Amino acid sequence: MTNEKTTSHSIKHHEAELSVWPPMVGLSSLLMIFGFMIAFQWKLPSMGMLVGGAGVVMLIISLFGWTSEVYKSSFEAGLSKTAIIVFILSEVALFGGLFGGYLYNMFPAPEWPPINTPKDVPPLGTALILSVFLLSSSWTIHKAEAHLEEGNTGGFKGWLFLTILLGGIFLIGQAVEWSSLIHEGFNVSTNSFGTFFYTITGFHGSHVLVGIILQVFILIIASRGRINRERPTIVRACGYYWHFVDGLWLLVLSLIYVLPSY
Amino acid sequence: MECSAHNKKCSGIKSWLFTTDHKKIAVMYLTVSLVVFVLALALAAVMKIEHWSGGKDIIDAKTYNVFFTIHGAGMILWWIIPVFTGFFANLLVPLMIGSRDVAFPRLNALSFWFFVAATVMAVLALVTPGRLDIGWTGYPPYSLQSGSNLSLYVFAVHMLGASSLASAVNFITTIITMRAPGMTWGRLNLTIWGIFGANIIQLFGIPVLAGAVTLLLFDKYLGTNFYNAAMGGSSMLYQHLFWFYAHPAVYVVALPAFGVISEIVSTFSRKKIYGYTSMAIAIMVITFLGFDVWIHHLFTKGVEDWARIVQSLLTIMIGVPTGIKVFNWLATMHQGKIEFRSPMLYAVGFITMFVIGGVTGVGNGLISIDLHVHDTWWLVAHFHFVLSLAMTTVAFAGIYYWFPKFTGRLYNERLANISFWFILIGAIFAFGPLFEVGLKGMPRRYWAYPHEFTGPFRVSVVGGYILIIGFLLTLINIIRSAFKGERTTANPWNAKSLEWTIPSPPPHYNFEEIPVITEGPYEFGKK
Ligand code: HEM
Ligand SMILES: [Cu+2]
Repeated sequence: MTNEKTTSHSIKHHEAELSVWPPMVGLSSLLMIFGFMIAFQWKLPSMGMLVGGAGVVMLIISLFGWTSEVYKSSFEAGLSKTAIIVFILSEVALFGGLFGGYLYNMFPAPEWPPINTPKDVPPLGTALILSVFLLSSSWTIHKAEAHLEEGNTGGFKGWLFLTILLGGIFLIGQAVEWSSLIHEGFNVSTNSFGTFFYTITGFHGSHVLVGIILQVFILIIASRGRINRERPTIVRACGYYWHFVDGLWLLVLSLIYVLPSY
Repeated sequence: MECSAHNKKCSGIKSWLFTTDHKKIAVMYLTVSLVVFVLALALAAVMKIEHWSGGKDIIDAKTYNVFFTIHGAGMILWWIIPVFTGFFANLLVPLMIGSRDVAFPRLNALSFWFFVAATVMAVLALVTPGRLDIGWTGYPPYSLQSGSNLSLYVFAVHMLGASSLASAVNFITTIITMRAPGMTWGRLNLTIWGIFGANIIQLFGIPVLAGAVTLLLFDKYLGTNFYNAAMGGSSMLYQHLFWFYAHPAVYVVALPAFGVISEIVSTFSRKKIYGYTSMAIAIMVITFLGFDVWIHHLFTKGVEDWARIVQSLLTIMIGVPTGIKVFNWLATMHQGKIEFRSPMLYAVGFITMFVIGGVTGVGNGLISIDLHVHDTWWLVAHFHFVLSLAMTTVAFAGIYYWFPKFTGRLYNERLANISFWFILIGAIFAFGPLFEVGLKGMPRRYWAYPHEFTGPFRVSVVGGYILIIGFLLTLINIIRSAFKGERTTANPWNAKSLEWTIPSPPPHYNFEEIPVITEGPYEFGKK
């Protein structure tokens, strides 16, 4: 760290930087929100899809523009490693709130899950199988980082690809689980367990998805030769995040799947 | 895109819209915050007219409800929090720790644009169908049933949340990793300590608030049962989650504010701040203790006794580090060569209002008193003193103090002082009488009131207008002086801290050479 710090201080950049991408991202978020509002509050779903879709497209373009701008500069201060840890702390708070709410609901309840929950809910067996995939992906991303450190970019890409695969299997498995539960008549409105079940697994799943998107993104820029030993920060940051998402799954597993089964 | 010092692209509208410079971003934050401040003041002005008589004067009950919702949300979420975490943090952090910018300048710009997106939604909430009348707190079940456009409320909070989270990550990383050589933790300005604490609170608090309102969105549009008691949910859950953030949010404002006051008191007393270490420790203690007192908002709502008693005690305990600060400021002034320039006047005014609000706050923290005054006009008076007016006064003090730095010009001293006396006197008359109204049991959030309260309400209306005039005078001062003020030098106050060693306004790279720091920011007396 100290090393990187001194370089960033001695560099003289007397050029003020301008970037169009931050306001573009801001605008795209506004479009996506209007899309939701038009569809749900004003009940014009196709119009809403159109506006929201425009927002999504704009967001993707902006993010690519943003990163290519960042990678144009030849210099990397390595601050994102600190930043991602700080960010993960805020994620802890988010899930802390959700789990807190869940327990707050569970403790006073006479029966948990409530009586109108179908018999084999929550499906512990499926969850355990899915855990195997997700947890082993923590190991594969670790391998990927190790290869990058040795300068073996090919090995890095291979293990990263495997990580994406494992994460993808987990997500698909969860989608299948959801749809079969909904067929059985267990959904968000069934009772407060249903509400929390879908919300917490959904929030976690969305974090897995973000992790995968980030990894695919890294794979793309790696194949353009932009990731190497000297610029490992984004890979490091992604690794920390991925380990966090995996660790979080253990909590989801024990509180949502194991606890109600006993 | 880049532009060098003599390039045309550096001036003009593009240089603002696409900027990643923390100083320009700071000014843009201030502009947006002040616009919303004026809007919220206008709403307050109408509410005050409505209180001239007990019955209907100009607006109906529904409009009154919409107005206090937008007034409250605007004042808290767009004015008083962002003026500290947006304006002051952006302006001061790099200058005070000795760096050229924040850790992630583009992300910083994005924080600002999310803030703008949220502002667009706030304005829409006021003018589109389904106007929000749910209070700035948005409690269910009412918020789910009132027919107002809840999605605007939720998404505005999301955008503000994304903005604040990105800033929190950015500023915490900046303060940890980008301090100049020799800038140890013990040499940081107290303002930086305050901003650090505030961002830690944002980091842990915002996600919980964002979660709480997201569940509101799910309940309303997707059919979930989080807050639906009939299906095993609980509307109390929302109140817990909401106040888990919203109580510490007052420290998001107060901690940087304490820092700002410390700078000003030290500079204009020409003395080193008394008890630097105890101040820094007090800031960090409050940062963490602030998360353990939210239940004082729920004393009347059927929370278990043990939780109420513990959190009542903790609430009173927070008074201790806060009290330490007040004594340290007084000790700093004691036997100092005090110079009553405008910022100092505002600082002393702040201490006055803060003591009034703080003493009544200890009262609120006691369960027995709170059961009586909860949700009455007493509370409105209390938080306007301790939060709204006291902190707005600090914001003005800080704007005046650093005005020469970020504009390169001087404000008008006489106008600033006149504005101050309007604010102080207006505050006392506007909210003093409401303590009495509340003690006698009149609940808040009502557009009308029984005849017997006509006297105190009318005093309050007149006071309110004096206050509003006071605020507007400062706004006029800021705007006029920004363009027409007298040019000034690098260090008009002869202050000691780092930001005064560079030109006013600073060049966009701040420091020609990154400085090497050898002493703390309050070394008066030594030459
Ligand atoms: C001239 C100055 C001001 C006046 C005359 C004023 C007046 C009022 C009035 C009449 C209400 C409605 C109270 C009720 O019916 O319960 C109110 C509520 C409120 N005000 Fe102010 N106010 C002023 C400045 C401020 C400032 C500077 C802030 C914050 C920084 C602030 C924050 C709030 C909040 C949070 C509420 C509660 C809204 C709610 O109940 O949802 N006010 N104010
Ligand atoms: Cu509180």
